[in-house]
Amino acid sequence: MQFPLNLSDISLWIAFTAIILLVTSELLSPYSEKLGDFAIEKDRLRLAALLLGAAFVITVLIRVIRP
Amino acid sequence: MPSTERNKPKDPIETRREKDKTAHITVKYLVESLQAAQRENELLKTELLKSKQIPSNKIGFLLLIIGVLSLAGSIVASSSALAFIGLGLTFWGILFFFIKPIKFVKGTLLESTAISSYTTIDRIIEALGFKGRAMYIPPYPKEVYLPEYLKGLKEMVVLISAEETTAMPSVEEMARKQFMLENPKGICITPPGLGVMTQLEKELRNDFTKVNPKNLTNILPKLIVNNLELARNVEIHDENNLTQVRIEESIYKDLYSSEHKLKSVHLLGCPLASAVACSVSKATGKPVTITKDSASPDLGIIKLWFQTLEA
Repeated sequence: MQFPLNLSDISLWIAFTAIILLVTSELLSPYSEKLGDFAIEKDRLRLAALLLGAAFVITVLIRVIRP
Repeated sequence: MPSTERNKPKDPIETRREKDKTAHITVKYLVESLQAAQRENELLKTELLKSKQIPSNKIGFLLLIIGVLSLAGSIVASSSALAFIGLGLTFWGILFFFIKPIKFVKGTLLESTAISSYTTIDRIIEALGFKGRAMYIPPYPKEVYLPEYLKGLKEMVVLISAEETTAMPSVEEMARKQFMLENPKGICITPPGLGVMTQLEKELRNDFTKVNPKNLTNILPKLIVNNLELARNVEIHDENNLTQVRIEESIYKDLYSSEHKLKSVHLLGCPLASAVACSVSKATGKPVTITKDSASPDLGIIKLWFQTLEA
């Protein structure tokens, strides 16, 4: 029993999710605070996207240091 | 003959009828007002119920549980597909908790809460028969030491004068924190946009007294549009002692509608315009008055002209 994903899989997943979140946070209009019936805080979404982006960079660095 | 008819006392029955008619109109007006208030109450109740029904917490919790189960399943079954699904669901579950807003209210609610303050100011001005202008008087900077009896000078106030032309009130009178001023005759009230201005300062992480007045034309629109999202676009042009402000799709635009017939909104500006006046006054350290304002027929564009006076 072991976790089936390796570092490159996780890195790819993180990169993909970060891009989706960044695009979403940019596409959300600053004037509409509601997305359907679900209100979201745009700044936090962007922060999450940036954190994921940073996580992706860290995984890449790990792969460079320990290939 | 007609003069004697005019001098003749009114028939008591007729007087009573007139009184009854007036009372009937008053009752009718009150009933209509009550019905309107009840309708508004119902609408607000529905809004509240709707906002309570948003199950963002429940959705987040559900996603988190399914995600964790999928991750556990992926380890047991050594399935990378399950692991990806688990990662995604766990992530979005956590994100739903994280991006949930603290407080969101409808913009119309802001406007309806402001109306009562403006109506009260209208009543006060009408009762006192004031015909003057409003003058935003800047406070002393927070860090400046002032003795206890002058602490009142650290509050931003707006003076509504009785006469069209007015002088600055004396320091002593301002420090007393009085509502009615004798010299010059007028009333001192808290600006309707003081709260908005405080929020702008919080967003800026700085006091407007420390901001260069020349930079205000760039800073304020960004804070209002991007940070607080109170308008779609704001333009500020500064020339000598005159500042022109153009607000597009302000959240408080309905205060300018002829339906409300608010006089004080033209005198003091809507909370957003008042906040801009407070900021200009604080940054320049000089009193500011609203000399002119205009709103487009659809209220989409509101223009205001401020004048900075010599203290």
